[in-house]
Amino acid sequence: MTAMPAMVEVDRLSKDFGKVRALDDVSFSVAKGEVFGFLGPNGAGKTTTIRILLGLLHPDGGTAKIGGHDCWGDHARAAPLFGATLEQPGLYSYLTGRDNLRQFARMLGPVDERQITDLLALVGMTERGDDKVKRYSMGMRQRLALAQALLGKPRLLVLDEPTNGLDPNGIHGLRILLRKLATEQGLTIFFSSHLLSEVEELCDRVVVLHRGEVRAAGPLSELMNVKCFSYRIDVSDVNRALDIIRSVDGARAETGTIKDSITVTSETDIARRINHALVSAGVGVDQLVRTQRGLEDIYIELTGVPSGSPLSAPPATVGAQ
Amino acid sequence: MLISLVRNELEKTWRSRWMVFAVLAGLFLLIAVGLYGFYVYHEHRWNPPPPAAWQGDLRHEMANNQATIDNLEKIKQQGGPFSGGRFNGLRLDDAIANLHREIAGDQYLLDNNIAPVSAFAMTRAALFGLGGIIMFVLIRIFGWLAAEQIAGERSDRTIAILLSRPPSRTQVLLAKAIASFLTSLGVVVISFLVAYAIFGFLMGSMGPVTGQVGLALDGSKPLNPTNLVVMPIPIFLLLCLGATMLAVLCVQGMSLLISVLTGRWAAIGITLAVLFGATIVSSVVSAIISLISGSSDTAHFLNYAFFNVLAPVGSIAPIFGNGPTQAGKGMSEFGSEVATLAVWTAAFFAAGWFFFHHKQEAG
Repeated sequence: MTAMPAMVEVDRLSKDFGKVRALDDVSFSVAKGEVFGFLGPNGAGKTTTIRILLGLLHPDGGTAKIGGHDCWGDHARAAPLFGATLEQPGLYSYLTGRDNLRQFARMLGPVDERQITDLLALVGMTERGDDKVKRYSMGMRQRLALAQALLGKPRLLVLDEPTNGLDPNGIHGLRILLRKLATEQGLTIFFSSHLLSEVEELCDRVVVLHRGEVRAAGPLSELMNVKCFSYRIDVSDVNRALDIIRSVDGARAETGTIKDSITVTSETDIARRINHALVSAGVGVDQLVRTQRGLEDIYIELTGVPSGSPLSAPPATVGAQ
Repeated sequence: MLISLVRNELEKTWRSRWMVFAVLAGLFLLIAVGLYGFYVYHEHRWNPPPPAAWQGDLRHEMANNQATIDNLEKIKQQGGPFSGGRFNGLRLDDAIANLHREIAGDQYLLDNNIAPVSAFAMTRAALFGLGGIIMFVLIRIFGWLAAEQIAGERSDRTIAILLSRPPSRTQVLLAKAIASFLTSLGVVVISFLVAYAIFGFLMGSMGPVTGQVGLALDGSKPLNPTNLVVMPIPIFLLLCLGATMLAVLCVQGMSLLISVLTGRWAAIGITLAVLFGATIVSSVVSAIISLISGSSDTAHFLNYAFFNVLAPVGSIAPIFGNGPTQAGKGMSEFGSEVATLAVWTAAFFAAGWFFFHHKQEAG
């Protein structure tokens, strides 16, 4: 938690869909001006939380507030404070991009044509703004949805998987834009994404949600500094090596995703002990690499998602024999 | 804010469904051209006929009725096999008495300068354009369009952004209802004007717009001093337009209610199933009840179902002529149907508002 005044306050939120508990006692807050990451695997309850924040769902227990206003009971006061995009951009396909923005702008007050032109330029849609949305690619829809969310100069941006459909350049551009909005305009950003590298690069603080419960919450720097060592070892005989490594105190070993490699984690630095044990037993060690513990590792530990995700952070070599 | 929301809804309806309105305009044009072609072929002339005064038509009708009476009297005096027969389903004496009453009624109208409702192009256009087959078709199209109002937003995934914005759900629903109503009002007025132009041509005159017309309380009986409601033509027109738009509003209320609860295709399907299917089922039920009881009045309670009273203007009077029509027609029945529609309309909108207000959009 932070000492700054909260823009989003979620307190003991719970929500059931029939017999399925989607949210269970979820609490967190987002400070003003913060870039906040909201993580969790499919079905974790992220979208349910966001829909409660947007006033689309009524919580069964607890409260969700934006700017101090209850998202369901006092929606009229909470709504002007935020703009939102959802995973599937909600746009009128038979209208042009500009007309879509006009539609949503009218819901906020008099239409400011200049702001609409500026927003189209901001998201790189000036040239296609007068084309019908049905001719847009998914990435273009995402960018227009972001422009829609920025209408009326909100103080909070709620973004649900905003990088869906964006190409690498688009993702890079979005990251720069969001950073700029946060630093220059003091915008609070609530960023829900499954792209951990994006969250890692963009967000100040994260909440990891799993099966409707908060598994971890806090500044990224704190989460990343949890004491844990991780190694990748390339060996000549994986089965023998696994037995030997598992006999080393504190070592947890499993077959790696790369051929003839083993992944080892430990709470203490045991690189030399492992190396010694393997060499003593006559197992050839081609490489022993200490891997950097990234957000993904923490995420995997917290949510139980199987390791070997293709989104691994690049390794940092610390030694080899 | 409400005006901006209504503008949004009108823009969305027009931009997404302009093809429907284009097809309707094409149909109107086709009907007008077809009727004109038939007129030219039948009447052997290109221009409108000379206008005929309604008084002349009434005198002609009185003369016809008198001739029929004379014939029936002759049959009676001659005796023979036909003297104990029936005329128009009535015993000869009763038929003669009825015809006398019709003549007396017509004479009363002439003496008091009260025109029958079918006397003028404008009133005929009101009966034809705001009732009957035209409204039967239009009202189902309006139902379909209204059924998409909320359900379509849900299918397009725009409902989340729409409801997360500052306007309240009440304002959003009200804007959609007003936009649907205004769109249908425009189409209804245009269809009336087309019918007015057609009747104006066929009758040789657009006719007076400030005179008075007489309407039967009980449409099964001829106009006479005890079975008469007199009103100025503009009031009659407004009465027809108001009743028609109440029926449209009722259907839109039902469609919006369905739209609140379901997705796009379910909403359209259920709406059209109710508007077409329920009427057919009701007709079958009515026929069975009438057959069993031996009286068509027994099934009259079915007129408390909204889908059976969606064309109240059609109940005022027959579109052509001033003769008696079937039982259960006339201004009394019209009033009953309007009251029925008003109750259903209020119920539909109240239910739609309640469910929309509490509906959770889980995506």
